[in-house]
Amino acid sequence: MSQNAIPALNPDTPVILEMNRISKTFGAVTALVDVSIKLRKGEVLALVGDNGAGKSTLIKILSGFHHPDSGTIVYQGKEVHFHSPRDARAQGIETVYQDLALINDLSIYHNMFIGREYHKHILGMKLLDNRKMRELAQTYLNSLGIQIPSVNSTVDLLSGGQRQSVAVARSIYSSPTILVLDEPLAALGVREGAHVLGLIQNLRRQRSVSIILIVHNYNQVFEVCDRINFLHSGEIVLDASTSETSEEQLIRIVKSGLGRQAIAAAAAEVRAGTESTSTGGL
Amino acid sequence: MPRTAQSSPGAARKVGTAAPSTFLERALVVLSRYREASIAVVALVLAIYFQVGSNGEFLSSQELSVVLRDTGRYGLIAVAEVMLMITGEIDLSVGSTFSLAPYVMVLMSIGWGVPLAVSAVAGILLGVLIGLVNGIITVRFRVPSLITTVGTFFLLQGVVVSIYNSQPIVAPVQEPFNEIFGENLYSPTDSVWSWHGLTAFTPFLWTLVIVLAMALVLNRTTFGLHTIATGSNIVGAREIGVRTDRIKVYNFMIAGAFAAGAGVINTTQFASADPLAGGPFLTLQAIAAAVIGGTSLLGGSGTAIGSLLGAFVVATLNNGLVMMGAQATVSDIYLGAAIVLAMILNVQVDRMRARRRV
Repeated sequence: MSQNAIPALNPDTPVILEMNRISKTFGAVTALVDVSIKLRKGEVLALVGDNGAGKSTLIKILSGFHHPDSGTIVYQGKEVHFHSPRDARAQGIETVYQDLALINDLSIYHNMFIGREYHKHILGMKLLDNRKMRELAQTYLNSLGIQIPSVNSTVDLLSGGQRQSVAVARSIYSSPTILVLDEPLAALGVREGAHVLGLIQNLRRQRSVSIILIVHNYNQVFEVCDRINFLHSGEIVLDASTSETSEEQLIRIVKSGLGRQAIAAAAAEVRAGTESTSTGGL
Repeated sequence: MPRTAQSSPGAARKVGTAAPSTFLERALVVLSRYREASIAVVALVLAIYFQVGSNGEFLSSQELSVVLRDTGRYGLIAVAEVMLMITGEIDLSVGSTFSLAPYVMVLMSIGWGVPLAVSAVAGILLGVLIGLVNGIITVRFRVPSLITTVGTFFLLQGVVVSIYNSQPIVAPVQEPFNEIFGENLYSPTDSVWSWHGLTAFTPFLWTLVIVLAMALVLNRTTFGLHTIATGSNIVGAREIGVRTDRIKVYNFMIAGAFAAGAGVINTTQFASADPLAGGPFLTLQAIAAAVIGGTSLLGGSGTAIGSLLGAFVVATLNNGLVMMGAQATVSDIYLGAAIVLAMILNVQVDRMRARRRV
C-alpha cells in the first residue's frame, strides 16, 4: 500500500499546533468538552467520529469561524486568538468547509482568489487584476489535473465533484502551514475521490504542510493519515497512530455501542494492545 | 462568455448545461446574459413610443431635461439600493434622508452663514451617519433591514417636518455651487451645447458619472467582489474571510450618502428645501428603478448600469404619460405593472440559472 511508499513521520518532528482543553457550547447543546489535539509539522491527522461528535465545531474554532468558550490554541509556539477566518487564513491556516464556501454568483477564478485578490493600479485606482487571476487559476487547476469547463464559468454550473476540487485547489494554492479538510471526499465519485486523495498523499510525501482531515471512510484514513483522533460526544476517546492501529480495531471502537463508557473502554483496550507492541506514538 | 460546458474527456459527471429547449427558455438565457441590454431595449422602445405619441415633443430639450432630471434623482438612489440589494439588504429610509440632508444644509448656511459647499458636505456626512446607524442596527442587533429602515424612515421624516413646522425654506444661491450642482440656467435662446444648455442636465450627468463609478466598483474592485459574495452566500463568504458585516454597513453608508447627495442636488436645483421632497414615494420609485433595471431582492446579483436604465424607465413612464395628456395617477398603473413584470422576469431568470446547475 501507499503506506510503504511514505515513510512514517519522525517522532521528533516539532509540534506545530496544540489545541488545549477546548470547550464550546451552543445554547443548551454541548459541542466540545475539554478537547485537546496536537499536530506535528507535516503530519496528516484524521479526525473521525459520528455525526454530531463535534468534529466540524473543533475545526471551525481552529479556522476562526467559532470562538471557544474556554481553552487555548498554541500555533507555531505562540498562543493565538483567531477573531475571524480572515485572521486564520492570514496566518497560514486554510480550511475547506463541508459546505465548500464557494460563491455561486462568482466565476471560478474569483472564487479561487477571493480574500487574497490580485490588484493592478490604474489612474490611482486599485482594481482587480482579473486577467492575472484568470491565468493563474487556469494554470494552477490544470497543474493539479482538475477538469473544469472554463475558469470564467460561475461555480453554480459545476458538478459536485468539480466544486469540491475547486475548493480544495483554492485551499492549497497559498501553500498553507496547516490545511484543514472537512470531508473533502463527501461529494466525490470514486475516480474524483481517488484524485483528491492523491493530492493529499502528494502533500503528505513532501511533509511541508500539516493536515487535519475529517473523513468517514476508514479505508481512506489508513491510506493517507499518520494518526487518528476519535471524537465522541465532544471528547477525544482515542489518539493513536495509524501504523499502530488496525482498521479492524477502529471499527471495533465504533461498533462498541453508543455509550461513551463502552467506546472509552474499547479505546483503552486498543491503546493497551498497541502499547505492548510498540514504544507508543505521540 | 458563453456558459456552456465543453465536453472534455476527464469530466464524466458533466455539468448539466443542457441546451435550452423551449423558446421561452432560450429567451430567458439571452435575458440573463444581457440584462442591461434588454432593459436598454425597453427604455428605447418607451422613448420611441412617447416621441411618436407626442409628435416629437418628448425628445425636445425641455421635456428631456425634466425626464433626465427625474432619472438622475431616482438613479442616484437606485444605484445605492442595487448595491444593498446585492448584499441581501434594502434601505427604505432613503426618502427621508433625501429630505433631511439638504434641509440641514440650508439651515446651516442660513443660520450660521456657512458656505453651501461646506454645508452640503455636512449634509452628505449626515447621510453617511444615517447609513452607519441603519447598518449597525441591522448587522449588530440582527434586525432585518426592511424593519430597521422603516423605523429610521419615520424617525427622520418626523425630525425633518418638526424642525420648521413642515415649512419649505428658501435656499441661498451661491455661484458657482448652484450652477454646478443642479441649477438650470438654460433658456430657449441658449444653445443646448453651451454651458447653460449643459446645466439643464446636471442632475442626470452627476448621476451618470456616479453610476459608471459604481459599475466599476461593483465589477472591478475587491469591495464589489465581496459585496456580491456577501449576498450570494453569506456563510460561505464569512468562512472564506469576507467581512460580511462590514461590507453591509459600508453599503448602507453609501446609500445614506447617495440619498443625501440626491437631496442636495434637488434642493440646489429648486433653490428650496422641502421637508416633504422625498418621502415614501421617492423610496419606492428608486427601488422600482433598481428592480426594473434587473436587480432581484434575493441578493448576489445586480447591475449598476441597470439602475440608471430602470430610473429612466420610471421617469419616462411618469412624465411621458402625463405629457401625452394622461392623468398623473394613470402612470402609476403602468409603473406598477412594470415593477411586477420586471420582478417576475428577474426571479425567473435566477430560477432558470439555478435549474441549469443540476
